[in-house]
Amino acid sequence: MRIRIKSSQDFATGLLFLIIGIGAFYIGSTYNMGTPQRPGTGVLPRILAWCLIGTGALMWIKAFVAEGAGIEKFAWRPLVMVTLAVTAFSLLIDRAGLVVAMVVSMTLTALGTHETRWREFAMFMVLMLAIGIGLFIYGLGMPLKVLPWN
Amino acid sequence: MELGNVFGNLALGLSVAVSLTNLFWCFAGTVIGTAIGVLPGVGPVATLALLLPITYHLTPEGALIMLAGIYYGAQYGGSTTAILVNLPGESSAVVTCLDGYQMARQGRAGPALAIAALGSFFAGCVATLVITLAAPPLTKVAQQFAAADYFSLMVLGLVFAIVLARGSVIKALGMIFIGMLLGLVGTDVNTGNTRFTFGISYLFDGIGFVPLAMGVFGIAEIISNLTSTERRDLASAKISGLMPSREDLKQSIGPVLRGTALGSFLGLLPGGGATLSSFSAYTLEKKLSRNPEKFGKGAIEGVAAPESANNAASQTSFIPMLTLGIPSNAVMALMIGGMMIHGIIPGPQVMEQKPGLVWGLIVSMWIGNLMLIILNLPLISIWVRMLLVPYRLLAVAILFFCCIGTYSLNNSAEEILFIAFFGVVGYLFIRLNCEPAPLLLGFILGPLMEVYMRRAMLLSRGDPMVFFQRPLSVTFLILAALLLLIVIAPNIRKKREVAFQE
Repeated sequence: MRIRIKSSQDFATGLLFLIIGIGAFYIGSTYNMGTPQRPGTGVLPRILAWCLIGTGALMWIKAFVAEGAGIEKFAWRPLVMVTLAVTAFSLLIDRAGLVVAMVVSMTLTALGTHETRWREFAMFMVLMLAIGIGLFIYGLGMPLKVLPWN
Repeated sequence: MELGNVFGNLALGLSVAVSLTNLFWCFAGTVIGTAIGVLPGVGPVATLALLLPITYHLTPEGALIMLAGIYYGAQYGGSTTAILVNLPGESSAVVTCLDGYQMARQGRAGPALAIAALGSFFAGCVATLVITLAAPPLTKVAQQFAAADYFSLMVLGLVFAIVLARGSVIKALGMIFIGMLLGLVGTDVNTGNTRFTFGISYLFDGIGFVPLAMGVFGIAEIISNLTSTERRDLASAKISGLMPSREDLKQSIGPVLRGTALGSFLGLLPGGGATLSSFSAYTLEKKLSRNPEKFGKGAIEGVAAPESANNAASQTSFIPMLTLGIPSNAVMALMIGGMMIHGIIPGPQVMEQKPGLVWGLIVSMWIGNLMLIILNLPLISIWVRMLLVPYRLLAVAILFFCCIGTYSLNNSAEEILFIAFFGVVGYLFIRLNCEPAPLLLGFILGPLMEVYMRRAMLLSRGDPMVFFQRPLSVTFLILAALLLLIVIAPNIRKKREVAFQE
């Protein structure tokens, strides 16, 4: 009988659990186990690592035994763009101020979908800038730069 | 328990809840809740996570009243979208689409909306009463709990979360373990050693609850929702004739009563809550009905029962949180986060030390329900207009609020990078069909379980048998083991899948 993966989704999930479990076991192996009366830092990480390795193994058995779903396709465009948008906001907010951070991150988000209509988006961005400055700078008084040169 | 006590408690709660500021926060919560309930793709978990940092500036009472209002308000709002657009505004409104949208297509959107709101209102009132009566005796029981009992109860709670989660049991189990591991990141309070920090100084204080929830529920959902092209077919932009006919009312009384009872009970179970109870109530009505073929073709019972059930459950799910300090679902985990921001350690002692907070919250739920019926019936056209905002714009706004909300926690730009990271992780989970809710529960309960485990081991002088010697503890553990066995048995698993597919 040929052994083959019947559910790539289950296989990938099992792999994820195993990687995290083995990683946790490896990193946690240096942690102090303490005494039974005073369990140390390492006890729960060790238990959880074994549990995760166990569930990962179960997932793999299931992936080889039972027919199941495949891995769904990743939507790379929104994934990359949204991640970039959040990262850009994080990097820009202190350095360049709220307005630049908002304009850059919102434009990157809008690039994440082909449905964006740019005129509509431009008007919406003006509205959001007004809300952002009005609510967070004047309303809640957050200590933020508004523009890069403030 | 004496009846006088109930009235005394309610009077105390009323005095807290009707103060002008608390009324305002209750109103704010229900308005925000309705709005996010109406908008598809914006859920209560992400919203609560977003608003947690803001509640830091409120009184504890105001904070909890508003956060609670958002949760049960979302149940009302979710039904509007389900009925008019055939999209669940909220996951608990999925079944309402079936018959609600059909009613709208037949020109009966008004009665459907009215029955959903009235049923929810009735259920909300009953659930408030259930909390009032059940909370004090449960607190008394909880005060007898020792550390070992607490530990075992949390094990049982997590098992319930697995049993009631949708989809694969093994995946839910794995997600809980990952959540618990994430909860351990940072400095161990008992020994001062750091764990899993990878030498990153931002991780010494542990992973923040808000960035985690915002990434996994907020950012990941944006990525996932931007993928699918959405179509919104408004059944009828104009709603004429809100009032249900006498016939409608007569048909709805039974389903509302049964939905309320079922929802109130299922809300109590850990891992239960609104979504599960609306599914169960719909299934129950279909089974009881003399003409089940009507369901799916615009039966008013198919709107009345699940809408009553999800509102009842969203309120009774506060009971385990208030009395035991144990979150029964991701929203309650966030409520506990909201209490901790104000330095309140959840548990049975809260009821004694802060009666005003607990009873104020309970009474505010009733007031909030009253506000919701006003918000949702006469003002329905405003909410319908909101449905015209397309998701491509909403996504932009949500992303901004997630970023600025995380920043406002500690005025730290680096923390925003966490939500980017957890957004990618969350999207991976969505693609692998792993529900993120158990992860959040594990994240909250993991560190608590460690504390109780250590305390129990210390008291028993290192004898692990303590978990099997205390009657309460061993009962919880046996129940947990039985539940796991039942759910893993293939025969019952199939039935469970069928129930969820309906």
